[in-house]
Amino acid sequence: MSAVLLLMGLLVLSYLGNLLVARRAASGMGLPSGVEYVALGFVLGPHALALVGADSVQSFEPIVQVALGWLSFARGLDFGIAGERRVRGSSLALATLGSIITAGAVASATWFVVGRLHTGLTGTDRVLLAGGLGAACSETTRHAVRWVVDRHGAEGPLANRMNEIAHADAAFPLLVLAVLFAMDPARGIATPMPLRDWPIATIVLGSAIGAGAALLLRGEMELEDTWAVLFGVSLIAVGMATRLGVPTLTLCFFMGIAMSVASRHRKELREIVMPTERPVLLPALLLAGARIEFHAAATLAWIAAATIAARVVAKVVFGWTLAIASPSVRKGGPLLGLSLMSSGALSISIGLAFALRFPGAVGDTVLAVAAVLATVGEFVGPGRLRRALTGAGEIKDLQAPGEATA
Amino acid sequence: MSSAATTHRGAAGYLLHAALLVAFGGLVLGVTRVAPETHGSLWTIAAIGFLLLAGTLMSELLAPLGLPHLTGYLLAGIVSGPYVLRLVDEHTVKTLSPVNTLALSLIALAGGAELDLATVRKGVRSLAWATVVHCVFVLVAVTGIFFAAARFLLPFTRSLAPAALLAVSLLWGALSVTRSPSATLGILSQTRASGPLATFTLAFVMTSDIVVVVLLSLVMSIARPLVEPSATFALDSLQTLGHNLFGSVALGTTLGLVIAAYLLLVERQMLVVLLVLGFGVSTVVEYLKFDSLLTFMVAGFIVRNLSSQGHKFLRYIEQTGTVVYVIFFATAGADLNVPLLRTLGPVALILASSRTAVTWIGGRLAGRLAGDPPVLRKWAWSGLVSQAGLALGLSAIIAREFPSFGVQFRALAIAAVAINEMVGPILFKLALDRSGETSRVQAPSFPSMIPPPPT
Repeated sequence: MSAVLLLMGLLVLSYLGNLLVARRAASGMGLPSGVEYVALGFVLGPHALALVGADSVQSFEPIVQVALGWLSFARGLDFGIAGERRVRGSSLALATLGSIITAGAVASATWFVVGRLHTGLTGTDRVLLAGGLGAACSETTRHAVRWVVDRHGAEGPLANRMNEIAHADAAFPLLVLAVLFAMDPARGIATPMPLRDWPIATIVLGSAIGAGAALLLRGEMELEDTWAVLFGVSLIAVGMATRLGVPTLTLCFFMGIAMSVASRHRKELREIVMPTERPVLLPALLLAGARIEFHAAATLAWIAAATIAARVVAKVVFGWTLAIASPSVRKGGPLLGLSLMSSGALSISIGLAFALRFPGAVGDTVLAVAAVLATVGEFVGPGRLRRALTGAGEIKDLQAPGEATA
Repeated sequence: MSSAATTHRGAAGYLLHAALLVAFGGLVLGVTRVAPETHGSLWTIAAIGFLLLAGTLMSELLAPLGLPHLTGYLLAGIVSGPYVLRLVDEHTVKTLSPVNTLALSLIALAGGAELDLATVRKGVRSLAWATVVHCVFVLVAVTGIFFAAARFLLPFTRSLAPAALLAVSLLWGALSVTRSPSATLGILSQTRASGPLATFTLAFVMTSDIVVVVLLSLVMSIARPLVEPSATFALDSLQTLGHNLFGSVALGTTLGLVIAAYLLLVERQMLVVLLVLGFGVSTVVEYLKFDSLLTFMVAGFIVRNLSSQGHKFLRYIEQTGTVVYVIFFATAGADLNVPLLRTLGPVALILASSRTAVTWIGGRLAGRLAGDPPVLRKWAWSGLVSQAGLALGLSAIIAREFPSFGVQFRALAIAAVAINEMVGPILFKLALDRSGETSRVQAPSFPSMIPPPPT
């Protein structure tokens, strides 16, 4: 398939994504993680049907980087905001704690399994793999929680808490990503920096760009010029990140946060940026799928199994922690934590960022496991959340989606 | 006089934007120093971003001086480009060609959709006279000036036989007849101008594209035997050209009907639809070797005149196009060969000035012959000075077809086009402002805008 045809395909996907947003059908159509688009990409990609060649996928790297940057920027802009409200400080703390517990458990399990498997990875690679999987597997996709809550019209303290947690757990994995990328600095850096300075530089750079953009947009500006500034600074951020070898995701995320904090027009900015998330996400997921390679199937199966097990345990433990910290959610039952099993856009994005930055065993494994985990989460998360919300009396009846949203 | 469509801000606002522009430039420059190595084409992303940001801010900063946005975009490109700050290198400029393809298709679509058949009919007498005068008179006059001055100004013409020199002069004359649809659309889009001058200029510039392509083909057929005595006069190329032109019109008509039907029946996700048109259809047009400008122009014309969707369509193109135009013109600025301009500048300036003078005389003459209203008699020439991509493209063809003097000819053309590219938009905007056609309607602004419909 030529690059132009692939581009047309991506545009059609973007069209579909836009259609979903326009019809407000995100809560009722498709899977919340979007993993079906990853699967489609894999099937069409060079490692399955090969309708899309490896060269074509490679040539789309700039577009992938831009998509990752934009999605992360949107996520930063929306960070800590559920619906129209800012999430409570306690939810932010709990979400971060949940990320730390899950990332720690997954990273430890991966470290242990990789050590046992004699994969031949170097020490640094082993850290990168464990850390990368920890980061990729620590999120709960906010789309899944919103999907269930919107679909069933759930209302109550449990629904609110879960929604807030899902909207506030992105910071930790993205910080981990910055640290991991710093372990293997880009080639040809004229001013070498110690490892600890790179993550700080990433955050400072992202925040500075975001603050600068907020200053540019503080007065009145033509709408088209506003878009030009938003696109312009985002592309600058993405380009700088790739040149410096720091994670685009982290830099753009902090750019979004800085803009959200510093701009007095944060609400309007969210209103114009957030509808673009889905149309950008679907092509990115397809391209991520096209990059997935199960080349080390046996090893990968063990690592994936360990990761899933660790994530299940970590989420259950986090559910208990949640119940202790927030009594209002206890009605969700002892397995409440499994409601947060759904992963999606952020996981796949981290996997994709790893595959681009560390091509080979490390990057491919992180991306493949992130996709597997999103698939597993799809079977567990929404169902458990629905059950927890029903148990807590926050879903009146299990109605058909059409009836609930009508 | 600044455009009323420009959002006004205080001096502090301008200073802040200038400071932030410098800061962002410094940041980009700093990164190129910290990490001198680029990884593949990924730096292109930052280059596009910087061109977009710098173009937008520069245009705003220049607006109080009455300069068009387009000049700001060009200046941003020149300053960021490979010959000044080197924030954007030559490779990056070349890799931005897909953006140019998209921009040109949107420009042509918008140009066609702006042409209202009823209005064009009313001005058909003006258009006809202008076409005759600006093609024949400008061609003859510029050819004559070039022929007379070439041996004094251009060393590469001194060794040419008189017949060959006449051929070179004819080619220069034909090149002088080209205008810039993109610059015209860019200025009209910014100023939201309406009135006889805006309508005439747009209609003339868009339609003259076809005339110019035919004219150049004819001139090249005449020039060849003059340069190479062994060659014979042949009109084969005109046959191919005719096939391409008819094909372009046919494809454009079909495309226009499809777009009109889509707007009528679906009208969703127009951003994606325009991207598909810009990239996908352009590829098809290129494969068929049709004229993309003509194809898209006809498509826009059909949407405007054979359906009721024209205004809607134009609004969608404007929404999408602004960002693309900034990158397009900033890239054109970055692509300007500054060292060449420095070397050939004085000669190019003389030739560009003589073309402007001839265009001015031609405008007055055509206006008088057509019995145009005073505003057209006075200002009709102003929109015809700009030259850009079309002239450069044709100069590349001439360089390829006439290798004996092609390289020097093209260098001179690039330098002259650079001057016209900078001066033309300023003149046109000045004329629109002076003739009172610049819109007083404020563009939708941020943050007090209505959230955009999902397109």
